[in-house]
Amino acid sequence: MITVIEYRRSPTRFLAARGASARTTGKLGDAVAGSLAPLRLINRPDPRRPGKEWGRVRPMLSGICGSDLALLTGRSSPYLSPVVSMPFVPGHEVVGELLDDVGDLRAGQRVVMDPVLSCATRDVDQCPHCAAGHESRCDHVTGGTVAAGLQTGFCSDTGGGWGGMLVAHASQLYAVPDDVPNERAVLVEPLSCAVHTVRRAAVPDGASVVIVGAGTVGLLTLLALREFANPGPVYVIAKHGHQRERAKALGATDVLEPKRAARVLRRATGGSLQTPERGAEYLLGGVDVAIECTGGGGLDSALRLVRAGGTVVLSGMPSAVDLTPLWYRELTLIGAYASEHAGSHDSGDFADALSLAAHAPLDGYVDATYPLSGWREAIGHALAAGRLGSVKVAFDPTRD
Amino acid sequence: MSLIREIKLVSRRRDWRGRSRTPRSAEQWAPVREPREFPTAWARTKPARVVREGVQRGVLRPLVWTQTSPQVYGSDRLDGVHGPVIVIANHASHLDAPLILNALPARLSRRTAVGAAADYFFDARWRASLTALVFNAFPIERSGSRRMKMIAPKLIEDGWSILLFPEGTRSQDGWMRSFRRGAAQLACQHDIPVIPVAIRGAYGAMPRGRNWPRPGRPRIAVHIGRPLAPAPDEPVPAFNARLNAAVTQLWAEEDMGWWGAMRASEQKELPDTTGPKAASWRRIWETTRPLPDKNAKNPVWRR
Amino acid sequence: MSRPGFVLEVDERTPPLLVHAGESFHLEQFPLGTRVVYPPDSLPGIRDVDAAIAEALLNPLGSKPLPELLHAGMKLTIAFDDLSIPLPPMRAPDIRGRIIEAVLELAAAKGVDDVELIAANALHRRMTPAEIKHIVGDRVFASFFPEHLRNHDAEDRANLAHLGKTRHDEDVEINRRAAESDLIVYVNVNLAAMSGGSKSVAVGLASYKSLRHHHNVHTLRHSRSFNDPPNSAMHHSYDRMRAVLDEHVKVFTVETTLNNDTFPNQLGFLNKREWEWSLKDQAAYVAAKRANDLAPAKVRRKIWHNTRAPYGITGVNAGDPGLVHEKTLANIHRQQLTEVNGQSDIAVLGIPYICPYNVNSIMNPILVMCFGLGYLFNMYRNKPIVREGGALIMYHPMPQEFHPVHHPSYIDFFDEVLSETTDPATIEAKYEKQFAEDEWYRHLYRNSYAYHGVHPFYMWYWGAHALEHLGDIICVGADRKTATRLGFRTASSLADALEMASDTVGRSPSLTYLHTPPMRLADVR
Repeated sequence: MITVIEYRRSPTRFLAARGASARTTGKLGDAVAGSLAPLRLINRPDPRRPGKEWGRVRPMLSGICGSDLALLTGRSSPYLSPVVSMPFVPGHEVVGELLDDVGDLRAGQRVVMDPVLSCATRDVDQCPHCAAGHESRCDHVTGGTVAAGLQTGFCSDTGGGWGGMLVAHASQLYAVPDDVPNERAVLVEPLSCAVHTVRRAAVPDGASVVIVGAGTVGLLTLLALREFANPGPVYVIAKHGHQRERAKALGATDVLEPKRAARVLRRATGGSLQTPERGAEYLLGGVDVAIECTGGGGLDSALRLVRAGGTVVLSGMPSAVDLTPLWYRELTLIGAYASEHAGSHDSGDFADALSLAAHAPLDGYVDATYPLSGWREAIGHALAAGRLGSVKVAFDPTRD
Repeated sequence: MSLIREIKLVSRRRDWRGRSRTPRSAEQWAPVREPREFPTAWARTKPARVVREGVQRGVLRPLVWTQTSPQVYGSDRLDGVHGPVIVIANHASHLDAPLILNALPARLSRRTAVGAAADYFFDARWRASLTALVFNAFPIERSGSRRMKMIAPKLIEDGWSILLFPEGTRSQDGWMRSFRRGAAQLACQHDIPVIPVAIRGAYGAMPRGRNWPRPGRPRIAVHIGRPLAPAPDEPVPAFNARLNAAVTQLWAEEDMGWWGAMRASEQKELPDTTGPKAASWRRIWETTRPLPDKNAKNPVWRR
Repeated sequence: MSRPGFVLEVDERTPPLLVHAGESFHLEQFPLGTRVVYPPDSLPGIRDVDAAIAEALLNPLGSKPLPELLHAGMKLTIAFDDLSIPLPPMRAPDIRGRIIEAVLELAAAKGVDDVELIAANALHRRMTPAEIKHIVGDRVFASFFPEHLRNHDAEDRANLAHLGKTRHDEDVEINRRAAESDLIVYVNVNLAAMSGGSKSVAVGLASYKSLRHHHNVHTLRHSRSFNDPPNSAMHHSYDRMRAVLDEHVKVFTVETTLNNDTFPNQLGFLNKREWEWSLKDQAAYVAAKRANDLAPAKVRRKIWHNTRAPYGITGVNAGDPGLVHEKTLANIHRQQLTEVNGQSDIAVLGIPYICPYNVNSIMNPILVMCFGLGYLFNMYRNKPIVREGGALIMYHPMPQEFHPVHHPSYIDFFDEVLSETTDPATIEAKYEKQFAEDEWYRHLYRNSYAYHGVHPFYMWYWGAHALEHLGDIICVGADRKTATRLGFRTASSLADALEMASDTVGRSPSLTYLHTPPMRLADVR
């Protein structure tokens, strides 16, 4: 038997959490939304290994991701409902201990997991995307040996990071070098998304970039941008003081307050600032590439700050937004989801993220871990992470 | 709360009237305060007259007539006299003005304004307003360069009678002093008659320093004389002397009776109204001697 | 006879004194011994202003009468001061309008057809039609606007004329129409000793290229003060430029001076000395203060900015700019000069709701700095009111608030420049050019109602002399973040401020409070 946090279908909880998070803000809102989330802490039998290639993993740290929070507060899109299977145990940012020998890995090995459940894990014929090496675009996420689920952590058969045990396919697992502590390893998955985002964006050399948002995604995207691209000035829009510091440390040219961003970018890039009758100011002129990393209202800012013909990259789950600038300014909108590796464990987004995480200045990013039993506080903390000076909040399922 | 704080702050280092002392270093730049004429025109408007009538007849008269026992002689001498006139009297007590105003026929008193010392009655705003309302008073400068800039001439032109105390101040000891010329001059300029009045016993009833009559309803005699008109081209000093003589004669009427006083006047034997040249206690001793009640044998008709 | 200005020494009898702080005011009990500089009482205004104008135009100083300078077929340009003076704006009719009417009357009689009116707003924002109308009056406005009554455009390359260089290699470049006129009549209002004279045309109608020669840190540090023209490097530069101008164009200047009637009757207590306040004044104070505190911010601002001053005119002089300005300065000194004995350790200033650059607008933090450290600090002759290394205490709430239309470059200056450095020289070297040549600012200056991109720099330079001179600057009641950005410290009360200043000036410093508005000029002996 293992203890897990289970996400279940509960329309009342769903609506309550959604309402609470929409209507109340501040400390109370976060606490209430955390408590109202359609989660429960229960005992479940150990997950079944769907095949020989699958091994059991005992999670040691499992991060709480922005997409998890969107799900818990009822803000995620219903679009995704066919590609998840209920009830599931959330948690896809995992570092854990492998309990079985699978593939090249031996039991006892510390591993991180690429959560994408692509064709390779499902024992089905490869879809054209997986064949082309784009696992994150896999068409077969609803079929095969395990139930529907775009990732581990959204699938009812695999278990997830927020539980005592999960099962993972050999193709998902990467050995963690001994000198990389868990607190860094748990960041590999989000970092792999950031690497993927930067590659998708294909930022030209010397191009000016603005990263909207300086949470985990924003900061890691900045890190990846400096590592895997050669941009010109990189501006980061950050709400909170500690995010400023971290962004500066990761090499941001300038860190801007959300309210001031438009003016400063106008100064930096030329052009003019326009104030519409309703809605935020925007630039005629602006940066070459804007990367949306808030998983919320940041897309609107990104669309307004990028130059005509520029590129907007969506790294978080989007929210409803006025797309007029996309049309009028002839922008390119690029989506970036998860990571890809073309079947290889030595190259690709995830492997690069793993080696980057080993030496990047990421100390202190995971500064709050909770046992599974503290899930209400954990979710509340994660919802208010920016304000509370945290970047990443994680569960430690090995603690009571 | 903040309003109270604000008021406290604004009234800091100011007196209760909101006036601040001029800081020492600003004293040389303190503006010369032009003494302002206290406006009294409002006291002669219809509503003020109605109020005054009420106060004089309803409050002052009962008060004076119950606390003292005034007796008015010679009202008959005013039959047929119409304003404007100038009424003059000796002045020894705050009772004088209410006594005279109530002794005069209503047709005159209603249209009478009282000259009051600007420095005393018109110094404080509340006292000025009250005096102006109750006595129809107007300010008179007793000294200084502005002495003659009075509004009295204008009042006379407007048909108001005027009550003046030509001694210029209340008597120290109940005896009379010589008359200043203001009243005579005003009469000569405007060619209007002057009614002389002598008041006896008011000092004894309520001297300087008292603000309520002595107990025991002391008797006060008000002797009203025949109006005197300045003769054509009569010099002001001469007319003033006649006025002084007329008041003296009325003063003597109390002691000698009408006939006696008239005789004494003819023979220049009127008693000296300025009192004996003696120690001040003796002077006061005389003026505070209660007037004998000689109603019965009074030769002047009393009504 | 109005009383001269004087220095009050706060004693036990002195009631709390009025202090302005932005769109508010309050009473402050100053420590005993504080010196308070009061300007002279308001001088009586000229009774028949129109007659005085006619007299000035017909019997000018050092010039032929105006009618003799006018003839048919000539090019006449009438330039006038913009809305930055007087403060607060004058109750209609504005004196400038009355003078312009008189000038036009003469021009019409002489058959002059080619007349242009130009507001000499230099790098200030354009005035709105309503603002122009208030200055020139309905009749002039209806006859000339918009074709022949315009704001000067310092960025309109085609309409600027470079007239040469001074012996100090300073460019003289002014409005082309003005430069090519047969006669410029300059109509001025002189509120402070710094304005008027050579400044009128050389600054009011100039371009950035020309202005940068005197509006810079070096010049301002050597103008001590810029309200004392003989000792002002800035004015020496103006004079050199006028010499060049004189070679090209004839200027007939009309200067006027105002008295100290700064506030309308209902706010009469603001014009009075506190110990002379009547009960009525006190009640008016409490009522006004209360109403002001309770009013919503927008309403409050509107009311303040709708205040029109009932100024009286103390002098109208016309003719040769140099001669006229001497008379003007004498008039200003008559109304503003107050002798002060010696410097003090601390100067206290109440910064009011308005300065030359926020008429009908918002007094942003940079303007607060400019008005306090630039204008008020420099209202001296001989020596600053505070000793070198002394402290300055200012009252202003300093909210981080900017007018987005009028002051766009100020916002960026505040966020981008001041967050890096507050040193005027560094700012000048590193950022001025960028801002001055920013296309968007240029566009907004020319087409919207924005101050020029370089204008916030000039504001900062105005304070350069004070920044160098002072040892400590403390803002009472100011927004802490804003004040920190400006490089100042904040205190919640005067007592706290004095406590803080004790590090610089010791425990028993001498204090001087400059009681403004109205304006005054301290002659420090």
